[in-house]
Amino acid sequence: MAAVGAGEVSKLAVLFERHHRSLFRYFVSMNRNRELSEDLVQDVFFRMLRYRGSYDPEQSFTAWMYQIARNASIDNAQKRRAEVIGIDEIGERQTEPVSTAPGPEESAASNQNLALLKRALERLPQDKRELLVLARFQGMKYEEIATVLSCEVGTVKVRVYRAMRALEQTYFALEKEIAS
Amino acid sequence: MTCDESKIFLSEYWSQTLGETQELALEGHLAMCAACRAESERLGTLWRGLSLLPAEEPSANLRTRFYETLGAYRHGLEASSKGGSWIQKLAAFWPKQPAFQMGLSFALLVIGVSIGYGMRSADKIDRKDAASELATLRGEVSGMRQMVALSLMQQQSASERLRGVSFAYRAESSDTEVLAALLRSINTDPNINVRVQAVDALHTFGANPVTRNAVMQSIPRQSSPMVQVALIDLLVDLKEKEAVPELRKLTTDSTANESVRQRAQWALERLQ
Repeated sequence: MAAVGAGEVSKLAVLFERHHRSLFRYFVSMNRNRELSEDLVQDVFFRMLRYRGSYDPEQSFTAWMYQIARNASIDNAQKRRAEVIGIDEIGERQTEPVSTAPGPEESAASNQNLALLKRALERLPQDKRELLVLARFQGMKYEEIATVLSCEVGTVKVRVYRAMRALEQTYFALEKEIAS
Repeated sequence: MTCDESKIFLSEYWSQTLGETQELALEGHLAMCAACRAESERLGTLWRGLSLLPAEEPSANLRTRFYETLGAYRHGLEASSKGGSWIQKLAAFWPKQPAFQMGLSFALLVIGVSIGYGMRSADKIDRKDAASELATLRGEVSGMRQMVALSLMQQQSASERLRGVSFAYRAESSDTEVLAALLRSINTDPNINVRVQAVDALHTFGANPVTRNAVMQSIPRQSSPMVQVALIDLLVDLKEKEAVPELRKLTTDSTANESVRQRAQWALERLQ
């Protein structure tokens, strides 16, 4: 990123190859819309170019990137809310949500558990889901998550515990739903 | 360590990133407290399960789009570092945000009308001149509308492109650039909403034979039945009788979607 900041724009491709998958997974876990997530990934990399002057090489690049990703996601949500209802309705009808139903290949018990876990994660409130996605899927350190979420490291740890409790409750509720 | 204190360290314990002292203290607590031990085991299983969830992969289209946009960005940078033409310098003043673009368009319109009105009263310009200035202003506004539509239709975000298409509704029917952009959207845009909306916007350009030919050619190229149905409806609205052979072919095409075949049959009944 330091090279990009120094004007070597082509180095952005290196960052793209390194991070676009994890960013995509973050967005798709948050909004469950593949197409929108790809748009947002693209947006993040061009925001990096636009705001490259604000990057501090002393700070974690990952934390900076996810701060941008969060802002892109928030801006997009606001913009979507402000859109005319007609367009919004079409958009919602046409988006391709990530399937929540377990596929036929997920017949083995362990795979069923994973499918259930995925559904439980998708049912979590956005703030809890985001925390688990950052901590578990993106492999971010708690210090980095604290920077992204603008809170203390201790707060992140407590919130991760609470999110796990909520995930457990949702998981067992879903299990009961399926059994009954 | 108390039960409450232990909760804070659990996730690091599952990830095996806890410091040695804290790990010993936590394990000591878990050994003595059955409730915390059971909770740690239950949540720990879910924690490990999360890392086993399959990752969603982006489509190859994302990489293509990224490199195209990066190329365009670098090209723009190189052009601006060389100084650029006076048109490029002038274009740099055009704002990037649609809201500002609309604001600027409106401001230019108001300024233009005011100047025109002021000059008229000051110099007693006759009605003919005023009408000609108004026509010029209309032309400028139409040009700006065209710029906004074309610029939005090239955006990465599908919702921005949808906005662009809604601007295209207000374009002049003789505006071939907007027509070309709409046809490009119909044939290549990855988003179904944008394609359907672009078909709808083509009504403005219905009188142009290019539109009618392009619509007929586009039907078999479309992968989405919804877009195909929208195109068939457009042909009916335009009363395009030359589309009859193409529609007849579609009604017998076994590879076509059932609802598309039915719509083609419906269209045939209206056009024949």
